[in-house]
Amino acid sequence: MMITALLLIVQVAAQDPRLERLDPATRSLVVSVVDSAKAVGLPGEPLIQRALEGATKGALGPRIVTAVRRLATDLGTARAALGAGVTTPELEAGAAALRAGAGPDVLTHLRDARRPPLTMALAVLADLVASGVPADSASAVVLALAPSARDADLVEFRRAVERDISLGAPPGAAAAVRAANTGIRLGADAGNPPRPASRQ
Amino acid sequence: MRVLALIALACGAAVPVAQAQVSPALDAGISYVRYDGFLPSGAVSLAPSVRWDHPRGRAFASARGTYLRFESGNRSLDFSTRGSWFAPLARRWRGELGLGFGASDYASIAHFSHGIVDARVHLTDRDRGGWVSTSVGRSSFGAGPRPVAVLAMGVWLLGPAVTMYASLDRSFVGDTAYSDVRSSARLQRSGITLEGTLGARMLSNGAGRGIYGEGSAMVALGRTTALILAGGRYPTDVITGSIAGRYLSVGFRIGGGALSIRRPAPVAQPSARPHSSSGADGSALRAETRLEITLGERPDDAVRLTLFAPGASAVEISGDFTDWQPVELRRSTTNRDAWQGTFRIARGIHRINVRRDGGAWMAPAGTIRSADDFDGEVGVFLLP
Repeated sequence: MMITALLLIVQVAAQDPRLERLDPATRSLVVSVVDSAKAVGLPGEPLIQRALEGATKGALGPRIVTAVRRLATDLGTARAALGAGVTTPELEAGAAALRAGAGPDVLTHLRDARRPPLTMALAVLADLVASGVPADSASAVVLALAPSARDADLVEFRRAVERDISLGAPPGAAAAVRAANTGIRLGADAGNPPRPASRQ
Repeated sequence: MRVLALIALACGAAVPVAQAQVSPALDAGISYVRYDGFLPSGAVSLAPSVRWDHPRGRAFASARGTYLRFESGNRSLDFSTRGSWFAPLARRWRGELGLGFGASDYASIAHFSHGIVDARVHLTDRDRGGWVSTSVGRSSFGAGPRPVAVLAMGVWLLGPAVTMYASLDRSFVGDTAYSDVRSSARLQRSGITLEGTLGARMLSNGAGRGIYGEGSAMVALGRTTALILAGGRYPTDVITGSIAGRYLSVGFRIGGGALSIRRPAPVAQPSARPHSSSGADGSALRAETRLEITLGERPDDAVRLTLFAPGASAVEISGDFTDWQPVELRRSTTNRDAWQGTFRIARGIHRINVRRDGGAWMAPAGTIRSADDFDGEVGVFLLP
């Protein structure tokens, strides 16, 4: 009994005090996921933040645990694609790109094509896909820009595409047009090309 | 309007795929209708619809039902569904395989149904493109099925604010044959979407002839609601069984996938000076609640966040840089709509939510709005 109590005290002392906002059962499971992630060299902070986000939003415990596990999986996949030397911001950006729909191979190609840090390129990739640009088109343009574009160029490219989309442009076409303006030929994927309107 | 709706979809006017893979909507309205050869009549309509998009834009499926009740007490029911799958890109070429089915019933007197399979090849080059297609299927009126074949081609041109579209098709339905030439334009600006179609039916044997045109205006009222005004004249559609007529309608649309309005959000790119995030996403509250990020001169300086929230009496933020603890912002002394706070934020990607007057957490304009893992949304911004 005393040993059990001591073990419990040690565990509580070792875990992040911010997680006390979670109920005990959820906290235990989240701590387990965080510890497992750390054991394989993944950062724990993004996982803790995801749990805290769920707590603030009033999510149920199982939902929080699922979200944390999913992020841990994404971080693991991102690291496998980007390599062991990747930083935490790059890992987070890589996980976001994967979540948006980019494939791990794209992350690997990006790592090979661009000098670190890759955070901005990965973030732009994730955002393009989240905006509706087909993942293959978004990957193609970011990979094409990656070797020579500065981070500021990537951000400006992203902003221009977003502006076109907000004006009604098909996302794929917007990316293709902006890429063409920078001298890149994408194969011009328009994403959702027009269809005969009369046969709905 | 079906034509225009599809053009809107084709031009990417639906809700961003990665955010809302399933987009339900409900249209309700009143109409004044005069079908060719019939007396004019008022009608009320209810039209639920749902659309599913493949997360990577490789396919979509949609379904729509319409209940129409006329002054006479008669009612019309209509249901249609359609799906398409897109082949991977091959340079500038892309294939599409589509399937559509529909059925309608008027006062238990007239029954129509149809099923169509179509194959399409698209060619896209920068801001313009075109396609050719062929469709085959069946159309039934009562118990008499008739073969359907359609050959079609079209071109489209994408401008900064306007999308233009033109098509030519030749349809054969049993012994009925006809051709349509159509041109359409769509303009979207600041929460208002204007669409218009002008067409001509010609070389017709049994499907009528003449000029037709429709126009519509959709005004976003909120994040998921819109007011729609539409009117015009449309031709007989022999395949689906709709009779030519004129109409004027006003209605409301409720639903995330219905507004034909893109989320805004120029990327939340911090700069040395505050910049303005323009654009409308169909969410008045979100559009009004706009985040600006001001970096300090040195990399280790605190970052100032400014939330513009007109009409709010309290504004809170919560994010990974606050350990997701709500933090109330201070109202600016120079601008009553501005709320500010300074934070230590590490370089990299960050997530943020804001809420006004204790309301729901939302992603502010000026961030990249994404679905969170908790049935809500989160704003993402990058601090370089």
